[in-house]
Amino acid sequence: MLRNDADFWGAPAKLFHWVMAALILAQIVLGVMAASWRLSPTKLNLFFWHKSTGMLILLLVALRLLWRLANRAPALPEGMPVWERAAAQLSHGLLYVLMIALPVTGWIVNSASNIPFRIFWLIPLPAIVAPDKATADPVALVHGGLVALLALVLVAHIGAALRHHFVKRNAVLVRMLPGKWRT
Amino acid sequence: MKQTLVRFGLCALIYAGALHPALAADWKMDPAGSKLEFIATFEKTAAPGVFKEFDARLRFDPDKPAGSSLEVTIKVTSADMNIADVNKEIRGKDWFDYAGFPQAEFRSTDLRRTEGNRYLARGTLSLKGVKQPVEVPFSWTGAADGATMEGELTVKRGAFGIGAGEWAASEVIGADVKVKFRVKLHKAG
Repeated sequence: MLRNDADFWGAPAKLFHWVMAALILAQIVLGVMAASWRLSPTKLNLFFWHKSTGMLILLLVALRLLWRLANRAPALPEGMPVWERAAAQLSHGLLYVLMIALPVTGWIVNSASNIPFRIFWLIPLPAIVAPDKATADPVALVHGGLVALLALVLVAHIGAALRHHFVKRNAVLVRMLPGKWRT
Repeated sequence: MKQTLVRFGLCALIYAGALHPALAADWKMDPAGSKLEFIATFEKTAAPGVFKEFDARLRFDPDKPAGSSLEVTIKVTSADMNIADVNKEIRGKDWFDYAGFPQAEFRSTDLRRTEGNRYLARGTLSLKGVKQPVEVPFSWTGAADGATMEGELTVKRGAFGIGAGEWAASEVIGADVKVKFRVKLHKAG
């Protein structure tokens, strides 16, 4: 089953979800380590992997958005209160915004810092802004702020999924799990 | 009469000297038309920089390069890699060590033609307190108002202790640094 239907996520949607979940968690760890590491070849390597992963995530989120637009999302459980529906919509919307805004602000910081960079040593990353420290510093702060926001939204996202499963006992969590989960 | 002849002879000698100067001419650098770049690599990607201040002095006859000489002085402290954080970092002891070794120098010991308008200057590069033999190949293009020498060579940064300690490893910052130059010259005097 490739396409989503009213009740279930198709395989591509699940694959996007879990591959990106793993990449995003790794990305947060890499970013925090890179930012806090003392200046050394290790720090530069951490930044290299962080930047490469970030550009991979940006590519994946673009494909994922296309897939999402071409596919309906399964319906939320019946009887969900309005505030929960609103919260679900807001948090999912924020996740998509952040999945784009974080790589893009990172890209701006890299361009403004004028650091030569090839994604995974292969693809030269073109500059999207002119080299300027006055751009790099504030955008780096924004990048960090967005990470804090992402962490909050992820806690809400994971918390809500667990609540659906263990408290409300509906299929919201299991229908995103790999394999065929028909309840 | 005898005195006049002597004077005339002297004048003739000096005149002849002016028309046919010593074969190797002295050349001075025109800083505005000259550029000295060094291209390091960062994560296998070119990371270019320049030495904004340097001077080349050349005694050279393109047709008879034997006996020619090339001397270049480089103000290491004028290095600019166009990245604020990197420019701050390369001042330090691990890299160029501005305080200890503000100047680098190349002096040729031998200069010869390799083919056509291509030449090779062999000599010694003194950089960060280390003297190492290097070969500087260059092309020579003469024009009415002067000449241009252009070339590039590869230097191992490790040989000069550029990138000390943990930075000596070459996975992140490559071992090879390409040096590219374009020097505009005009005849001195």
